[in-house]
Amino acid sequence: MKKQRFAIVLDTRRCIDCKACTVACKVENDVPVGGETYRNWVTEEPVRGTYPNLGQSFTPSQCNQCENPPCNSVCPTSATGITSGGIVTVNPDKCIGCKYCMLACPYDARFYDSEKGIIDKCTFCIQRTLVGGIPACVETCPTKVRTFGDLNDPNSEVSILLAKNKHRVLKPELGTKPFLFYLI
Amino acid sequence: MSTLTKKPGYFLWFAILGACLLAAFGAAGYTFWVGHEQAFNVNRGVPWGILISTYVFLAISCSGLCMISSLGHVFGFKEFETISRRAILLAILCLIGAFGAIGMELEHPFRMYYTILSPNLSSGIWWMGTVYGLYLAVLVLEFYALMTDNHKLSKITGRIGLLLAIAAPSILGAVFGLILARPFWHGSFLPVYTIITALVSGTALILLVMYFQHAVRGIEMDEKDCRVIRLLGRILRLVLFVLIFSVFWNIIVGLYGQQPGIYEPVMALINGSLSANFWVGEILIGLVIPLALLIRKDRTPFSTMMASMLALIGMFFMRYDMTIGGQLYPLRYQTEGLANGLFTYSPSVSEVVLVVGCIAFSALVFTLVEKFLSLDLKSEHHP
Repeated sequence: MKKQRFAIVLDTRRCIDCKACTVACKVENDVPVGGETYRNWVTEEPVRGTYPNLGQSFTPSQCNQCENPPCNSVCPTSATGITSGGIVTVNPDKCIGCKYCMLACPYDARFYDSEKGIIDKCTFCIQRTLVGGIPACVETCPTKVRTFGDLNDPNSEVSILLAKNKHRVLKPELGTKPFLFYLI
Repeated sequence: MSTLTKKPGYFLWFAILGACLLAAFGAAGYTFWVGHEQAFNVNRGVPWGILISTYVFLAISCSGLCMISSLGHVFGFKEFETISRRAILLAILCLIGAFGAIGMELEHPFRMYYTILSPNLSSGIWWMGTVYGLYLAVLVLEFYALMTDNHKLSKITGRIGLLLAIAAPSILGAVFGLILARPFWHGSFLPVYTIITALVSGTALILLVMYFQHAVRGIEMDEKDCRVIRLLGRILRLVLFVLIFSVFWNIIVGLYGQQPGIYEPVMALINGSLSANFWVGEILIGLVIPLALLIRKDRTPFSTMMASMLALIGMFFMRYDMTIGGQLYPLRYQTEGLANGLFTYSPSVSEVVLVVGCIAFSALVFTLVEKFLSLDLKSEHHP
């Protein structure tokens, strides 16, 4: 059997900016309360058009679990690593808190967790996904913006979504090979 | 030595440095007590603050000191041999001060042993830490060789030290230059620019030491000392000219085409949150006034010293602006926490006190060693 390669596919047209994903993530992963501590977020894009013809998009995002993660390349103590399923993780015992990874990540996916004293990031809720569950942000979304699954399984929901729909990744020019896909 | 202790300014010097060091210990204690989050003004948008830029300033100054002092005991220009001991001692102390600054910025400096247990050879910081660590060991050996007049050892360690002195700031520049996510830093410019700026800091520091070791002890400069100061002044003038072009092209490249991620930080430098630092600190204090002083034919050791001091202050601003400037541009569309579309950062009191403490440490220990060990060569022994 082929190794798993987890991904999240997002249909941003469904996002209503309720931020339930951020709350669910904070609770599930013990992320401190605070304006700068979050593993996922919803970007409120600028309002388009002029009144009364207006439109606005909301773009949820998080760590892209890149295949070529710059945060992994720069970590001096190998605290950052890539585990099964392609998930990029931080070993809290090895993290010296140099914050080099925060500067290297082009997606602003990493932050300093003052309670744990380390750099933290999204792990696709590894404690759930490695035992067959789905990430909290995926589970909680009322409009099902996110779909989680294994891209190495051609019959998975994410594989089918990507086969049937045009999609894009963020900052492809940087060569990070992200595994967060946005349907167009 | 006795002339030193009789000077009232000497006690004031120790009192000020001692107070700075005590304040820094207080700030360090406070930081460990309340945590970095509370004590420092760094944030998610700007994770590296003034402690990192001070680390860069001190570490690169250390390399510059080595490069310039190698003119004497590596390249054989006899005039420069008089500066070797002091230059290498100051290089060691600058590097220890630099390690102090970065150590305070790190959340867990004591976990550094993982750089040996589980090294990541693709990390710029790993290479920087390793090379600067080796470099410190070589410098200590070199200082021992110079103090014991072991010419064979001083030549060998001087050569290895020179190689490391060029490699280390270049790798430090690469720590920034390798970050693809930060267009203002990314590229091969910074690893070369840091070598140029190392020469500026190193020459300026040696000139300061040359001047003050005479002035403080009330010793008249002989013809040889004046000649070394004149030569060093010419070197400083040259490297400042080269630096002007580095700064100029860095700005022009940033403005030309208005590439996102480069344009905005450059605009912050010339017309934004860093503009006072840039125009007053970098350009006026760091380049224009020092060059105006050094260009004069009738320059004296005093005016050369003034030029060096100003150039050094300018270098401090340059390190700060480079470090902070690269982080100002947000990585994704957002509105909260921004001013004019950019992140802001100004150091906290704790950060500033720690910076002052790191610099005071280098200055204090240097003065103490100067007091208790003879750093003069036998040929120029002063009574």
